Amino acid sequence: MIAYVVRRLFAGVILLVVMSIVTFALFFASPINPADFSCGKNCSAEQKEQVSRALGFEDSWVTQWGKFAKGVFVGRDFPDDPELRKTAPETIAHCPAPCLGYSRERTSTVTDLIKDTLPVSLSIAVVAFFFWIVGGVLLGVTAALRRGTIVDRGLVGISLVLYAFPTFFIGLLLYKFVAVQWGWVDVPRYTTIEDGGISGWLSGLLLPGITLAVFFMAGYVRMTRAYVLESFSEDYVRTARAKGLPKRTVTFKHALRAALTPIVTMAGLDFAGLMGGAIITESVFNYPGLGKLAVLANSDFDLPTLVGLVILLATFVIIANIIVDLLYAVIDPRVRLS
Amino acid sequence: MAITKKPFAALAAAALAVSLAACGGGDDGDDNNSPGGSDGAAAKGGTAIFFNGPRNTEHWDPQRMYIGRDLNNSGRLFYRSLVAYPASNDPTEGTTPIPDLATDTGTTEDGGKTWTFTIRDDVKWEDGKNITCEDFKYGASRNFATDVIIGGPANYLFTYLDIPNGDDGLPQYKGPYSKEGQELFDKAVTCDGQTITYRMKKPWPDMPQAAASLRFLDPYRQDLDKGDANNFVIISNGPYKLDGEWTEGTGGTFVRNENWDESTDPIRKALPDQWEFREGDEDEAIYDQMFADSGDAQFGVTERRIPPTFYDRIPEVEDRYTQVESPYVDYVLPNFNSPVFKDLACREALKLATNKAAWIQAGGGEKAFTPAYSVVNPSVPGYRENPAFADIPDEGDPDAAKAKLEECSAPKPVKIKFTYSGGTPTSDNQAAALKESWDAAGFETELDPLEDTYYSVIQKPDADFDVTWGGWGADWPSIGTVIPPLFDSRINLTGSSNGNDYGNYRGGPEVDKMIDDAYAEADLDAAADLWAEVDAKLGEDVAYIPLEITIFNFLHGSKVTGYANNVSVNGYADLAVIGVEN
Amino acid sequence: MDTITPTTTPTSAATPGTGPFLSVEDLRVHFPTSDGVVKATDGLTFKLERGTTLGIVGESGSGKSVSSSAILGLHRGSSAQVSGRIVLDGVDLLSLSDEEMRLRRGKEVSMIFQDPLSAMHPYFTVGNQIAEAYRVHNKVSKKVAKARAVEMLDRVGIPQPDRRVDDYPHQFSGGMRQRAMIAMGLINNPGLLIADEPTTALDVTVQAQILDLLQDLQREFDSAVIIITHDLGVVAEMADDVLVMYAGRAVEYGPAKELLTHPEMPYTWGLLSSVPDVKGDTDARLIPIPGNPPSLLNPPSGCPFHPRCAHRDKVPGDLCWTERPELLQGSRGPSHLKACHLANPDEIYRKEVLVEIAPELAEEL
Repeated sequence: MIAYVVRRLFAGVILLVVMSIVTFALFFASPINPADFSCGKNCSAEQKEQVSRALGFEDSWVTQWGKFAKGVFVGRDFPDDPELRKTAPETIAHCPAPCLGYSRERTSTVTDLIKDTLPVSLSIAVVAFFFWIVGGVLLGVTAALRRGTIVDRGLVGISLVLYAFPTFFIGLLLYKFVAVQWGWVDVPRYTTIEDGGISGWLSGLLLPGITLAVFFMAGYVRMTRAYVLESFSEDYVRTARAKGLPKRTVTFKHALRAALTPIVTMAGLDFAGLMGGAIITESVFNYPGLGKLAVLANSDFDLPTLVGLVILLATFVIIANIIVDLLYAVIDPRVRLS
Repeated sequence: MAITKKPFAALAAAALAVSLAACGGGDDGDDNNSPGGSDGAAAKGGTAIFFNGPRNTEHWDPQRMYIGRDLNNSGRLFYRSLVAYPASNDPTEGTTPIPDLATDTGTTEDGGKTWTFTIRDDVKWEDGKNITCEDFKYGASRNFATDVIIGGPANYLFTYLDIPNGDDGLPQYKGPYSKEGQELFDKAVTCDGQTITYRMKKPWPDMPQAAASLRFLDPYRQDLDKGDANNFVIISNGPYKLDGEWTEGTGGTFVRNENWDESTDPIRKALPDQWEFREGDEDEAIYDQMFADSGDAQFGVTERRIPPTFYDRIPEVEDRYTQVESPYVDYVLPNFNSPVFKDLACREALKLATNKAAWIQAGGGEKAFTPAYSVVNPSVPGYRENPAFADIPDEGDPDAAKAKLEECSAPKPVKIKFTYSGGTPTSDNQAAALKESWDAAGFETELDPLEDTYYSVIQKPDADFDVTWGGWGADWPSIGTVIPPLFDSRINLTGSSNGNDYGNYRGGPEVDKMIDDAYAEADLDAAADLWAEVDAKLGEDVAYIPLEITIFNFLHGSKVTGYANNVSVNGYADLAVIGVEN
Repeated sequence: MDTITPTTTPTSAATPGTGPFLSVEDLRVHFPTSDGVVKATDGLTFKLERGTTLGIVGESGSGKSVSSSAILGLHRGSSAQVSGRIVLDGVDLLSLSDEEMRLRRGKEVSMIFQDPLSAMHPYFTVGNQIAEAYRVHNKVSKKVAKARAVEMLDRVGIPQPDRRVDDYPHQFSGGMRQRAMIAMGLINNPGLLIADEPTTALDVTVQAQILDLLQDLQREFDSAVIIITHDLGVVAEMADDVLVMYAGRAVEYGPAKELLTHPEMPYTWGLLSSVPDVKGDTDARLIPIPGNPPSLLNPPSGCPFHPRCAHRDKVPGDLCWTERPELLQGSRGPSHLKACHLANPDEIYRKEVLVEIAPELAEEL
């Protein structure tokens, strides 16, 4: 089992290396010069060249990737200029290992940016996850158990409608009516647990959490319903009934256990994806999380931040994959880790 | 990772914002949309909110700022300059610098080649240290560190300050970090006690305007300078200082700076106890709250404009609504490198065919735009309607255009490609409106909307478009910050880029000399006449075709007092005088 | 079983309380669908006594499994419409409440399914699943139930049952799984055991062991057994009576030996013709039944078998197309019923069918 985890982690690291290379390569394949964004207006061609050099975009992307990779292990200085180190050491920012780079656009190491934004995204994800798992699975099971009834049709219909609505639309609706028009809750603003306590933190997360949860929940209702119905037609559920087990036992012990296994898998991966996938929700509610950072970094061509985010989010997905597989082995005795 | 927005999506909007540098003045009151204001008593206290909007502040470093919003707000709250504009909406008073950290508005005895200012003795930084002449000198020197101090209007000092250029086309002085060429700078800028002297290589008659509008001549503390790391560090000398840190995408809170002495400051009233800057909200989110006047938004002001979708709700909130003309002009440019538009007759036909009224209608109507008749904004002193455009109806003159097109040497029908910054329904509708008017005159227009790559494409001298789009606003109230940056081929056109001269216009010796003469004229009124001549020449050549001037539509909270959209801050909310009810 | 002695006759009347152990009368299982009603079982009647075995034979989709599921009440809670009477030990199961039926399920009637791998829950140990079947009908501790499970595993021939009890189904071989299923089915000593294709999914070598085991246990527990199969070899070995089903109905019903030696219905002939003779008679021909099983939604008119019947022309007129033959006594006596219009089936069988599939037998007769 440990050997298995080690092997999976090793494969994950290789994947990360490949992804970072691809990100660099794609970035430099673009016809856009990042210096355009930093140089300001009235920027002469000479200045632009200078800026490009200062941003480190003069080197080939291979060299730059090499510097990046080295920085991960030994840290880096920004700018890495021996002259400047002599004359004005105070202007050099040190980025300790593991250094994911330094964003000139944001005047911060990527590690610090992640430190600032990750808790926000994590908070939204946790709250959303709670709503969508509890809501999605419960309603999905309800719909399956009342298959064909008005309850079932209602739930399936509503979830289909919600699923079809774009997230930003749901977010804007909630924002506009619940927060602004009716004033049921304050206009959501991210508050840390330190600043606002659990209740302050949670009240700020309610609307973004629900916004994000709605989309997933709608999917999970339908998915859970389908899996539960499928499991009801399994032979072993028929066996359980043939044994004379009460309906409750048949449903919850035999049918649901099997039905929920794929949902656990999906939920694990969705949660990991959510860390960087809450872009729209974070934008609508102006939450300074990873998704918002990704949008900003993308819009001003901030390569270090983009690479850092790609690596981070890929890491989440890789780790979530491993955890889900381990979990699977725990749930399903047939699964062997190898 | 799901990145849904395309890179550079912000750039279309940035096209305007890029030209957000200071401007104002000259607004001779012909717009009846006089800035509104609540006339509450000027009571101190409370917390005012500034909605910074979805476009993050990129720099709080005075030498790196170049966005009008940030230049204005910092100047009103925490960065004082040699001179500043008084809080006034009078077109002359509001754009005439008065002493701020200096004791006078600067003296020059040689028509602008040498400028001298004396710094007050009684002004302090937020940590209690006196502001010295050396601080100003150091601040100016930072502009030359082009590898660290990136993004600001450094090129003005490159152009004027008496420091020779090296082979790379940049000044031989490389800034205070590398200290390369330090002696050159030490000669150009000198301190004598509290008196600072700037020596230019050519006259700079409106330098005080530059000092008042931009922040690049502001003082800076060498002992606190950490270069790029100070990008969001604010070393205040004004009435407010940053409480804690600035968080990009979230904002920050400004509290009173105890070391600011009200008696030294004729401009800043500093009424609220706190200013909370809130960053990252989309326009719709801001205006949802503003229209509902809910919660904090009652104390809110913003530089974001009311989105057109909210226009029909304006009557509900008339007392909190203000409308002002912006300092920008949008225009289209014929490409002088194109086989069609190298011919003047073809350009004239395009000029006559252009239906700016349709363009405005497609873009949101008269609430959003007003027609323009020059590339110069009417608020800039010396503005005149360009005679080449003044007499053409806003709807264009299709018959005259058709007749003119007969003279055009290009094969008929005249096929042209219009490359513009697209990607939004509005921009596409506007482009379609232009196409319709051009096609009615006999052109055959191909629309070429570009998103991410717009600037990269049109700045290429060999790009194959025939017409493109541009927008501009003056850096300070002078035509010298409009026409040369856009049409002086000597500073724009290089082998690899056309700079801001997207139409690849080449004025030749005649125009170059006219520009030089206008620059050299020390008398600002006389200079304005010369600039008008340059503009007229550009009109004759059809170097550009003006479209419209953006109109700002703003709303502020009900508990905001003394609200004013002053020309001294380009028509934005003047944070120097705004207060809130307690 | 060396001797086959029919102990029930299809014609004897059932008297409540004193009648046969199991009596199914006019059982119908209909599934309403959006396309119409699927008549999976449409009027099935048979009887069964303790200690005897009924084989139900037919192709897939002939209604065998649906009928047996109906006896267990497994259609309850679904949209299926079940009518008729299923009298077990004097009680009409169809008149019971869901809860009363549940208490009988696994205790008085239990069932063994075709594929023991899918029929056992993959996430629970074999012992757990067997003990669960015991505990649901007996108020005992988990420990006692587990001991009982070990005992049953031992009884069905699982080696080292005290260790294997903690294994998961996927750790068992196919034969062992089926033994475990049998252990589960018999743990409450039910009066009626329904075995739905119990050997179909197993290796041929294991098949015989399982059948032997079933026979042993039947004797031991004195159960009535219904064995559902499409394999006439299994029927020949196991069953006292045979009921051939086609399109949801019984088309031939009688004592096994009688029916297998003198089948009177062309469908039964078809089934016999498609059984390979392992003794290796090279002259014997395998003759598959042509065509596909009929749609239960839209059964053919007249005799449901007529579209596939090679002998329909031997019936005068268009009787096979227009009139469904009732299940009636044939030429071989009251215990052998058949639903066929043919007047002289015995002769046709001997002269036309047997010569093809078993020439040596045809000569004997």
